[in-house]
Amino acid sequence: MTRTTHRQIGIAAILFAAFLTLAGIPYGVTAPDNIRNIVLSPLFWPYALAGLLALGGAGLLLASRGLPSAAEAEAPGTGWRPGAGLRLAIAAVIMVLLVAFAETVGLVWAAMPAFLAFAFLVRTRHPVAATIAAIAAPLALYAFFAHVAGVAIPQGIFVRLP
Amino acid sequence: MKNFRIASVAALSIALTAGASLAADYPDRTINMIIPYGPGGATDISARTLAEPLGKVVPEALVMVNRTGAGGATGSVSVKHASADGYTMLFARVGSHTVNPAMKDTLPYTLDDFRFVGVYEINPVACAVRSDSDIDSLDELASKVQAEPGSVTYSSSGVGALQHIASAMVLKSFGVEKPLEQAVHLPMKGGGAAATAVLSGTATFICTNSAELASFVANGQFKPLMVTTTEPVAGFDAPSAASLGHPELEQLVGWTGVAGPKDLPDDIAAKWGEWLAAATADAGFREKMEARGSVIELMSPEDSAAFIQKQYEVFRALVDELGMRISG
Amino acid sequence: MTLFDNLVTGAAIFTDPQALLALVIGIAVGTVAGAIPGLSATMAVALTLPFTFALEPMTGILLLLGVYKGGIFGGSIPAILIKTPGTPASSATVLDGYPMAEKGEAGRALTMALYASCTADLFSNLALILAAGWLASFALSFGPPEFFTLILFSLTIIAGVSGDSLLKGLVSAVLGLLLATVGLDLVYGTNRFNFGDPNLMGGLNFIAVLIGLFAIPEILAMVADPHGNDGNVRGLGDNRVSFAEYRRCFKSIIRGSAIGAFLGSIPGIGAAPSAFLSYSEARRTSPNKANFGKGEIEGVAAAEAGNNGVAGATLIPLLALGVPGDVVTAIIIGAFMIHGLQPGPLMFVTNADIVYGLFVGLILSSFALFFIGGAAIRVFRYVADIPRGVLFPLVLVLCVYGCYAVNNSMFDVGVMFAIGWLGFLMMRYGVPAAPFLIAFILGPLLEDNFRQSMLMSGGSPEILFRSPITWVFWGLTAITATAIAMAGLKAMSRAPAPAESRD
Repeated sequence: MTRTTHRQIGIAAILFAAFLTLAGIPYGVTAPDNIRNIVLSPLFWPYALAGLLALGGAGLLLASRGLPSAAEAEAPGTGWRPGAGLRLAIAAVIMVLLVAFAETVGLVWAAMPAFLAFAFLVRTRHPVAATIAAIAAPLALYAFFAHVAGVAIPQGIFVRLP
Repeated sequence: MKNFRIASVAALSIALTAGASLAADYPDRTINMIIPYGPGGATDISARTLAEPLGKVVPEALVMVNRTGAGGATGSVSVKHASADGYTMLFARVGSHTVNPAMKDTLPYTLDDFRFVGVYEINPVACAVRSDSDIDSLDELASKVQAEPGSVTYSSSGVGALQHIASAMVLKSFGVEKPLEQAVHLPMKGGGAAATAVLSGTATFICTNSAELASFVANGQFKPLMVTTTEPVAGFDAPSAASLGHPELEQLVGWTGVAGPKDLPDDIAAKWGEWLAAATADAGFREKMEARGSVIELMSPEDSAAFIQKQYEVFRALVDELGMRISG
Repeated sequence: MTLFDNLVTGAAIFTDPQALLALVIGIAVGTVAGAIPGLSATMAVALTLPFTFALEPMTGILLLLGVYKGGIFGGSIPAILIKTPGTPASSATVLDGYPMAEKGEAGRALTMALYASCTADLFSNLALILAAGWLASFALSFGPPEFFTLILFSLTIIAGVSGDSLLKGLVSAVLGLLLATVGLDLVYGTNRFNFGDPNLMGGLNFIAVLIGLFAIPEILAMVADPHGNDGNVRGLGDNRVSFAEYRRCFKSIIRGSAIGAFLGSIPGIGAAPSAFLSYSEARRTSPNKANFGKGEIEGVAAAEAGNNGVAGATLIPLLALGVPGDVVTAIIIGAFMIHGLQPGPLMFVTNADIVYGLFVGLILSSFALFFIGGAAIRVFRYVADIPRGVLFPLVLVLCVYGCYAVNNSMFDVGVMFAIGWLGFLMMRYGVPAAPFLIAFILGPLLEDNFRQSMLMSGGSPEILFRSPITWVFWGLTAITATAIAMAGLKAMSRAPAPAESRD
């Protein structure tokens, strides 16, 4: 899939560079009015990078012409497994939930179901060991981080650990 | 799972009842002390040194939490948004609570978002050049700035740091009309890098906490030109600002204090006042802080707020006069 | 033989077992802390500092140094075993260390990492003792223009770690540079890509990006294809490294040590660029060039030599000039000052006993690291035996805790996951991650020093050619860039190249 990926990355890079130049940098970066020298402006470096990104994208498009076409280069086993999309979507949802609720319910309590969910997402062959680890690991890590390293691991508003 | 739910419901109801009689039995759990700067910095070392005697007087455990970023803004904002129950307190510093608010319109907090319970440490500010420099006094420095605009540079640990405003303020006091245009500000990454820049000749001079310059002065690498306090600073053979006829520069000192969110109840603030008084009286603490060049001087909550407000106003006036305001 | 006499006097301190004990405890604590992602060497040193207040100055400082050295080596353990570099310094170790672990050679990778670390550490300490004065005055001649050219040259490393396509490496590097611009502008303090969010004002957290880029994509890849790796046997394997292998890597180790000692003596660069530079030099000159990135033991050796070579040398600016080279040495300066000592040239006169005692302690620390590190490998080896189905969720939870601990921020955990997805996409499309990371580390240094130079000169580019040092680095950059361009053109004219699948 060399030729196709080269093209896809090339196009994506050019599009992203265009987005940065037209919208991202004008809105995302502020520069004071009284700048004496253009190379000192906070905008100079981001614009330079956007230009470099576009150049890299163009280079990839150019280089892709010399590469074998998609069909002959397709290596076996690089495609998606059945169900991969769904599993990845679930993984994304778990990550979002973990970040959103860890401070409210407590990191330890949030990490346990997340651990378990991931263990089943990767189809663990050791479900019992995974379940035990799902309970033990967040607790052990809490003990270490909170009591040895002195880190304030979020406790949540429900159950507080010593 | 069921047990867990029962436990959590039980704990929740305990937590709710505890909320009602909050202040009376404060503290009844761990207190998080936010340090808005990284490990090893001046604020961090000051905070962790204070934590030792403070831990003996506060009945519950204190956890030091470093939350670094944006010149102290990231950590300060997190305390602004924390609930005002006294379980999240902040180590406020000159950079995060007077220089930054005076300079930055974009800062996501103001002084009014905090209630100060005590300033406990004052750091004299000193100005210095490299010892082989031909500049021997601030008057000479100021005339050099005016005679050759652009030839004099001063380093800081970044925009909105104490060093940034200090150098501008000193130059202004010594008669430089437009210090921003006539001298060049070189922002470095961190206080160590700022001092190194002077040592390597990249920058001409620096005005910063005397503690950061002490070893350079002792080793004869730096020549101190002035200290801002009335009292002489040990090891610094330099005139005070007042003796040079610039008593207005006495406002230019670094400090560290403890603050909570603005709605912090009175009795909790009062408790902190007592705890800080007991902790700062500790002989070992004083000895360690003084060895680093700090002056230990505890202010009451009211005095702290007034002190900070005054310094803020001085800085703010200077920022407006010089056009240093950052609005974007 | 004044140096020798002084060292003998210094050694007298070690007749007191307390000093030696502090060193050993420090190294042990540091190794464990370094092995936990998120608890970097810096954090471990900062946490140890209050304990040193009550100790004798010498004992306290040796404790801190032990923690630092242990931490730098400890970082290689998770880098190799679970593709989670605990510190930026050990990210170069991931490149070949993790492929070795995947091949069931984790034990050999760890052992080589230890050998290389100890050798480089010893080298670096000797550089400190024998050449501190010379290196320090050299380091002081580095101003922003010199830094700029040095970093520019270092960025050419990217070509060496770009894998099969230089252009993909370039795109990856630019993305890294762009992400590094998030935060506040250095010169004007204005907002850059932070949209007024205080969490973004400080920029993206280093460790969050690091873990997100390496560890999370690996987990996501396993979610996408749970049993895709079943054929590979993990497990620690034999952990012996033969003397012949060590000798084969010896040249790379010494070169890495020298690079580390040189870069370490310049304040403000840090261990990560040194590790990458050492890695890329080893790759460039090795007969096994093609095997780099696929589990080449010489790559592990070079990366670890590069980062440990810095450890002793960062004390050069500290002792000779009183200048902190990084956060760790800043803390150590704090420790000196609490005990009423002023680091700097005068210390060699006024407190010579402390300075030379420190030197002796440093030499001893290289040997102590060898034994303690060996013990640590034997303890952590069992991680390699944990089946993937349990290990990967465990790594995920560990990363969440570790990433949170760095800055006590759940936002950083979100950043880690977001970068993780980006890294996963890059992995799928065969865009290499290493250029991204190097650019993320070096990008801000490049921009800052460029703008500081421009401030100094009032906008005139001449300042970038102001000294012989800048000329040397411009020359090196030109030579390397030409070589890269020629190799790239050659590869293109050879097309159609055989399709290479992603690593």
